[in-house]
Amino acid sequence: MLSKGHFGTFGGMYVPETLIPALEELETAFLTFSQDAAFLQEFRDLLANFAGRPTPLYFAKNLSANWGAQIFLKREDLLHGGAHKTNNALGQALLAKAMGKTRLIAETGAGQHGVATAMAGALLGIETEVYMGEVDMARQQPNVFRMRLLGAKVHAVKSGSRTLKDAINEALRDWITNVRHTHYLLGTAAGPHPFPTLVKFFQRVIGDEARAQMLDRIGHLPDYVIACVGGGSNAIGIFTAFLGDEHVKPIGVEPAGKGLDTHEHGAVLARGTLGCLHGMKSLLLQDEDGQIHETYSISAGLDYPSVGPEHAYLQSIGAARYESATDQEALDAFHELARSEGIIPALESAHALAYAKKLAREVPNDTVLLVNLSGRGDKDMQQVMNQQNAFQQSQSVNLTS
Amino acid sequence: MNRYTHRFQHLRENGQKAFIPFTLLGWPNRETCLETIQVMIANGATALELGLAFSDPVADGPVVQEAALETLNSGFRVRDAFELIREIREFDAEIPIGLLVYFNMVMAKGGEAFFREAAAVGVDGVLIADLPPDAENQTFAQARAAGIAPICIISPLTSDERLRLIAQEADGFLYVVSRLGITGTDERYDTSLQDLLERAHRVSDLPLCIGFGISSPEHAQTMCKLGADGVITGSKIIQVIRENRGNEAVALSGFLRNMVAATGKVGS
Repeated sequence: MLSKGHFGTFGGMYVPETLIPALEELETAFLTFSQDAAFLQEFRDLLANFAGRPTPLYFAKNLSANWGAQIFLKREDLLHGGAHKTNNALGQALLAKAMGKTRLIAETGAGQHGVATAMAGALLGIETEVYMGEVDMARQQPNVFRMRLLGAKVHAVKSGSRTLKDAINEALRDWITNVRHTHYLLGTAAGPHPFPTLVKFFQRVIGDEARAQMLDRIGHLPDYVIACVGGGSNAIGIFTAFLGDEHVKPIGVEPAGKGLDTHEHGAVLARGTLGCLHGMKSLLLQDEDGQIHETYSISAGLDYPSVGPEHAYLQSIGAARYESATDQEALDAFHELARSEGIIPALESAHALAYAKKLAREVPNDTVLLVNLSGRGDKDMQQVMNQQNAFQQSQSVNLTS
Repeated sequence: MNRYTHRFQHLRENGQKAFIPFTLLGWPNRETCLETIQVMIANGATALELGLAFSDPVADGPVVQEAALETLNSGFRVRDAFELIREIREFDAEIPIGLLVYFNMVMAKGGEAFFREAAAVGVDGVLIADLPPDAENQTFAQARAAGIAPICIISPLTSDERLRLIAQEADGFLYVVSRLGITGTDERYDTSLQDLLERAHRVSDLPLCIGFGISSPEHAQTMCKLGADGVITGSKIIQVIRENRGNEAVALSGFLRNMVAATGKVGS
């Protein structure tokens, strides 16, 4: 292989031998096309005219007043498709086409990456199939329908915890079998090399834009850059531009689910140990035999027992800090953003907001927090309605008892 | 001389090919598992390939995955698997025993401890399904230091350059993937298989055993005639056991006898 893609002790290429030729082919194509002017021109053109980049940087005045800090939102929720996932899907689909691949496969948790891949497949005329856990299909039904509208075939994954982890397992199996003509369009900055590097390359536009927008708007950089972390693609996308800026503190926010002291969370950087899953060494939620734990989060997009290797590395060298927010904190932030700013965020992004709220209480009012609003919340309507119904039912029980 | 070398040499001298059955340690339960392995030995298996159940077995198909999840749900742990191997080794001192594992399970114990414990209960070789030999340089050395043969996979897509690299690192035998894909009983073979066997023989003296989709005596014979030194059957065995619960031993005996007969005297 050309290079091993390590981030300190994390990363690497831990896959069955049958996949090595495909990963080497992908790495070679990536090294070639990421420096190819015509390829980059086409990518930028699609980002601008198909997807709607640059996305706005929005000063959330009401939220800032309520929470006590200067809160800027990078509006990836306004990107075509409704989340940052479109950046990476377009980039990789172009790469797949340049490599002569005739079929795209993808895994999806919340469905946003599946939708983005289905859009890219439709746009570029490439057959697309998406693997999605049965549990996630139930909680993100609108996205399942959107993928089908876009011409993609959606496979329900019924094994294991029937969530994102198992969807990745199935996608890897498909790829091992159909590797000659299929590109696996991995949706997050995780998996075997070169995916973490490649996904970062296509997602770093978020931070590059936001950094220039901050300088343009307020004349200096933010004090904190905050993003939610499941696999970690939106976080690495916005962090990367700021990693050389000594006074900017990147903070990733993991799903604490029902609490870090329960078994129902997905806070890998907080509670994980070194291991190997899905082709990479990273932190993992696992038992002493190395069996992977089933994770939990209200947000399907963050429900993953490992994390992109670069985040594990950034944490290990102290270059980024990782915190967490519970389901309830995320739901509260979800409602607050909707009511105070007229923006309905994705439940994933609501985790970043929830931590921003906590942080705002601890810092001076003029502290600038840049929060990556990685996606919009339309897909979460059913989930939030269910939560509210459950809440109202419990309230009425209390009243009548 | 390790047990693999010894046994393959013996086969070669007699013009025979290897038949290596696979099952998952602890499945469908400890007692039945031990019984099925004893049936394998009694019916002339050349070597054993035994899997440690893993929660996320990406290189395995649905048949093995389902069995793995059932095993984990039954509470069967790695230490139980090692104890079971010890019992098998007491039952047969000569048969080569290979373990099929995923890298995370090796990491969880630490490579050194994992291979030391494996060697202590009588394991001869370990195939780590998601660890290509150049992914890192520690684990293969730890296996060797414990006297364990690192078994490696090659596929029709493996380049000559990688074949040479793998040939240097591997021991025991080379596990040849007959077709692209995961383990299972799909019988379509890749047309470039014969080419692969020839390329592999040029760079390695290790026996070439073909796995993935070998589910009948006819397939086994076809593979041996193509130039394989043996075949490995896994998913089909799990299926036979699953479809004959209560009568596993008899059903499995019949299947194994036919497979051993098919590989017994090919091309001699």
